[in-house]
Amino acid sequence: MKRLKRKYINSENSEKAPEGFTSNVMTRVRLETLPLTTIEKSWKKNLIPAVSVTVTFLLIASAFLISGSQSDPLTNPLLDLINSLKSSIPEINISSLFRLSVPSVALYVIIGILILTLFDRALYGIFKREK
Amino acid sequence: MDYKGDKYYIEQILSGNSNSFSYIVDRHKNKAFNLAFRICGNHEEAEELAQDSFLKAYRSLKSFKMKSSFATWLYRIIYNTTISHVRIKKKGVLSLEDFPADATDFIGSNTSEEEAEREYRSSLVNFALQKINEDERGLISLFYYEEMSTDEISEVTGISKSNIKVKLFRARQKMLEIIEKVEKKVYQFRE
Repeated sequence: MKRLKRKYINSENSEKAPEGFTSNVMTRVRLETLPLTTIEKSWKKNLIPAVSVTVTFLLIASAFLISGSQSDPLTNPLLDLINSLKSSIPEINISSLFRLSVPSVALYVIIGILILTLFDRALYGIFKREK
Repeated sequence: MDYKGDKYYIEQILSGNSNSFSYIVDRHKNKAFNLAFRICGNHEEAEELAQDSFLKAYRSLKSFKMKSSFATWLYRIIYNTTISHVRIKKKGVLSLEDFPADATDFIGSNTSEEEAEREYRSSLVNFALQKINEDERGLISLFYYEEMSTDEISEVTGISKSNIKVKLFRARQKMLEIIEKVEKKVYQFRE
């Protein structure tokens, strides 16, 4: 049984791990902790659509609330502001241009889209800078 | 710095100090690398496999029961990782002709006669080791190079003690046969 060992194998024959072995393993171990930051980043990524959905919902809800409570003293100043905005913007007769009848709510929709676009750009700028 | 024992560093890692793992790696790296190398027979692959094994050990450190020896647990991971790797990537069987008859291919020119002889014997064993199958290779490595008892080998490999003895006997016989054939060939060349 000992013939093989006595003649051919001794502890000096043992192979040594190459230089930098421990640091290589530790680099890989440290990379193991990366998924935690990825989870955090994906949470931030989901924040943008969540905020956008909330703002859209608020805008739609406020549009219903404003039209449904004309006599409410709280919403009157807001309506006054919208009316003054409407009066300050020069009126363009779109229907005469396209020979189509455009409902008055179209202005609100366009303003809403503009606000959302600006909001989206602002959020995009903030989160992109953070990265 | 004195090594405080595997258990101490494992507790450190489990409490959030992942850097403590470097002490464990430092402590066991040579034996881990040696075992992987004896089974796969290639330095680059052995390094990769030993690293993979340490990483596997790190990932499943929570499942390690402190009652058993960490070294045995680690060896089991290395043994299984390397054996699976070798089985997947089974190379062509080495021919007896692959061993250089003049036995100088692996001997450095500036080594002493004693060193050259040692290198020659080491290469001879490695050559024979690569000629037997991966299971036998693993057992020979654990028994001779890591100097483990059959009880410990049984714990690492999951093979029964009696089966280990039989397999070791067969592996030794095969290796001796190969070595003798090679030596005969080398002597013939020298004459």
